[in-house]
Amino acid sequence: MADAFVNEGLYDEEDSQRDKYLTFSLGNEFYGIEIKYVTEIIGLQPITEVPELPEYIKGIINLRGKIIPVMDVRLRFKKDFKAYNDRTCVIVVDIKDISIGLIIDSVSDVITIPAEEVVPPPDLNRGANRYIQGIGKVGNDVKLLLDCNKLIADDELELLDNI
Amino acid sequence: MAKVLIVDDAAFMRLSLKTMLAANGFEVVGEALDGAAAVSMYKELMPDIVTMDITMPTMTGIEALKEIVKYNSKAKVVMISAMGQEAMVKEAIMSGAKSFLVKPYKEEHLVETLRKVLGV
Amino acid sequence: MANLYSQEPMIEMYVFETSQLIEQLETAILLSEKYSSFSIETINEIFRIMHTIKGSSGMMMFTNISTLTHALEDLFLLMREEKATHIDYGGLSDLVLESVDFIKVELEKIKNGDEVDGKSDMIITEINHLLKAARGDNASLPLEKKGAANEAPKFYISQSKKPSPEYKNTFKAVIYFEDDCEMENFRAYTVINNLKDITEAYEYFPPDIIDNDDTIQVIKEEGFTILLKSDKSYQEIHTFLSQTVFLKELELTELLEEDKSFQSLKRTPGTEGIEKPEDLRGNIATERELRDGNNHQSIISVSVGKLDKLMDLVGEMVIAEAMVTQNPDLKGLTLENFYKSAGQLKKITSELQDMVMSIRMLPLHNTFHKMHRIVRDMSKKLGKEVELEINGEATEVDKNIIEYISDPLMHLVRNAIDHGIETPKERLEKGKSGVGTLKLQAKNAGSDVIITLADDGKGLDKDKILQRAEENGLMHKPVEEMTDREIYSLIFLPGFSTKEKVTEFSGRGVGMDVVMKNVEMVGGSVAVESNLNVGTTINLKIPLTLAIIDGMNIKVGGSSYTIPITSIKESFRAKKENILTDPDGNELIMLRGQCYPILRLHQVFKVRSAVEHIAEGIVIVVTDGEKTICIFADELVGQQQVVVKTLPTYIKNLRKIKGLAGCTLLGDGSISLIVDVSGLINI
Repeated sequence: MADAFVNEGLYDEEDSQRDKYLTFSLGNEFYGIEIKYVTEIIGLQPITEVPELPEYIKGIINLRGKIIPVMDVRLRFKKDFKAYNDRTCVIVVDIKDISIGLIIDSVSDVITIPAEEVVPPPDLNRGANRYIQGIGKVGNDVKLLLDCNKLIADDELELLDNI
Repeated sequence: MAKVLIVDDAAFMRLSLKTMLAANGFEVVGEALDGAAAVSMYKELMPDIVTMDITMPTMTGIEALKEIVKYNSKAKVVMISAMGQEAMVKEAIMSGAKSFLVKPYKEEHLVETLRKVLGV
Repeated sequence: MANLYSQEPMIEMYVFETSQLIEQLETAILLSEKYSSFSIETINEIFRIMHTIKGSSGMMMFTNISTLTHALEDLFLLMREEKATHIDYGGLSDLVLESVDFIKVELEKIKNGDEVDGKSDMIITEINHLLKAARGDNASLPLEKKGAANEAPKFYISQSKKPSPEYKNTFKAVIYFEDDCEMENFRAYTVINNLKDITEAYEYFPPDIIDNDDTIQVIKEEGFTILLKSDKSYQEIHTFLSQTVFLKELELTELLEEDKSFQSLKRTPGTEGIEKPEDLRGNIATERELRDGNNHQSIISVSVGKLDKLMDLVGEMVIAEAMVTQNPDLKGLTLENFYKSAGQLKKITSELQDMVMSIRMLPLHNTFHKMHRIVRDMSKKLGKEVELEINGEATEVDKNIIEYISDPLMHLVRNAIDHGIETPKERLEKGKSGVGTLKLQAKNAGSDVIITLADDGKGLDKDKILQRAEENGLMHKPVEEMTDREIYSLIFLPGFSTKEKVTEFSGRGVGMDVVMKNVEMVGGSVAVESNLNVGTTINLKIPLTLAIIDGMNIKVGGSSYTIPITSIKESFRAKKENILTDPDGNELIMLRGQCYPILRLHQVFKVRSAVEHIAEGIVIVVTDGEKTICIFADELVGQQQVVVKTLPTYIKNLRKIKGLAGCTLLGDGSISLIVDVSGLINI
């Protein structure tokens, strides 16, 4: 369970990472995250709760001596909490030197979505849509492509709401 | 590989000399921070060539040069001088320095000077 | 070439060394200013500093810095030779300090990778004015030229004193040097020096190369001409002369017939007559310099990044050691040899840890002495007279902590001079000495360092502070209930400033809160004492180190917490009958006649815990040095050295969590949160 997903390709050069997305599911929806942000995928670890944090930050985990926060992406998207099970995974991403683990229902695979297959998201600046940078078409399916920077940076407004 | 002893009280100058020399196939065998250390390190290491700063605490480059030449009349010492040190360069040359460089010098001049003084 | 100097280590070294040098320079100047004289040692030191910066900056092609330092070098050279008859020392100090500031700004640009584009022309012009004035009426020539004043006789020179042996071949060589080789005359002389190894019969033109700088021009234009006799072949001589450093062109011709001019050359012995330049440095090197010089040999510089990494690694090792020796798999096993070896490992780990910590410890010396400059500049501009007394600057603290407190300290010093110390007139009217005193001192107190800044100025005005706090809505408590200390602490709140007038130095109400923030960031605290018209004393209490602490691990529900041992007074199981509840529902406990509030950690940190009855858990008495409270937790787990890790940046950016100082890893790999006792107390 510790290494639910190992893909050597994750560590490839920047160039070969272009247009590649790691896809995962939250409930019925499929999301994609640019592979260049992803450092590894791990199973759920014991989480240490930290007081005074927003609900979607579940706490911190020990990743081989490095302590990183973990975010429940469901709660971040204001969806209902779903109990963790053995399919629950943590995608560790590195965004602007900030390492954070994203708790998601389950990971699927790495797919290539050429830029021309990506359309901008509908202009609804709330809910999960705030964190979507585009919608990728893969055959008949669509993947919601996450804007990682917003996911971690858009917190000031959020904070004001919470206080 | 020619063995070089670098003498300079400024860490930056030592690093810069070392980097340039290492990049051009010289072996920096020692770094002295003042004249006194230069003399004792010269005797100990017997380098093929010495780059000698002039302005240093404790013992100037010129005094060190004189000591080294006294010890080995064939010693190859290249003075690292600066603009405005003409009088000292003159004394150094009279005292047996093989050549001199004037800061700021270019890498190729440093290398050329050392190679020519070494006769390689 | 350009590549070499864009290399990180080179820039780093340049910035590091130059910063150190200008700091030394600043200190030297301020000291000289204090004693209103420049000792010969100081002049030499400054000269050498300028010389070094000039050289390095030249190599880095930071022309603005190198020309500036060159100008200063000239000035101090003049002073060194005691030819400076009319030095305006005040002006000189100002100029040097101005230059120091200029270089600081440029260094900052270099560090940030910005263009080094400052204009030093203005300062250089001023320096040159001073230089001119300093020389008085007696000189106008550049210094170095003076040596050439003794007219050297103009003749061709042969070093040989013996009659020259018969040589087979005669050559004429004309050597041209490269345009930027500098000091062509000495270059030419080195050729002659080398020539001595192969022949004794030679002559050259221009002749008086060593003593006459005008020959530089001749050599540049016409080349350096040598006539020589030797048994060596044309090829050998050509090869030999080709070894000339900075050679641009060599014209070598073999003279088949004895050249007439060669014969007619007048042989006058006597290059020996050349005057040795006076050894400028002489024996002025002081004992201190000697000592320093030798010490340097055994010291190497290491980048802070590497030290931090080392610290991290040792931290990991401490954790790994605990993970091995406290491994759950070992439970119930009798492993005599294992524990023997484990004990040895523990001993080495802890020694290693002490050593790494000690490497990171730096004396406060530099931080403290930086204040001299601030005191000087501020008193000058504000028309105040302030004496700065420094004590205990040898006290050492962790390098990281120094970085955090340097700015706050600077701010406090500024504030003390700006708002605390009165003008000489006011002081005299109050019957004080016209010169204000600012005492800055540091001392060790257990695992903390206390830094005290005391002024003998007008003191804080409680009424004014309260009024201002009221106006800004900063009061959270009725005035009657506030202690003096609490009132004074109001000045550290964001948005507070008692001074209506915004001054250049003390800013606009930003700053004092930054002091508090920075000090708290390293787990320290600030306390103020003040007496009207007697003065204000500010105490900063900061930990010696951030990295590794002795901690007591406790459990609350499923979570682990660690309390620094230094803040724990005692722990015990309380009886229900000792607990009082005040009308607000706050729990209190009586302990040897004193009443302390109880803080239930599970409530503060909102953790589910099965232990709710006071008698089932444990009460831990903790203090931040001022106040004491009791913490209620489920159980004590044990004492252990822990490596303090900061909470992840992401969380720190979200908010500062009151009551938490960081986190650490326990032996089983789980995370424990480190309790910030003073944060909890003031929650």
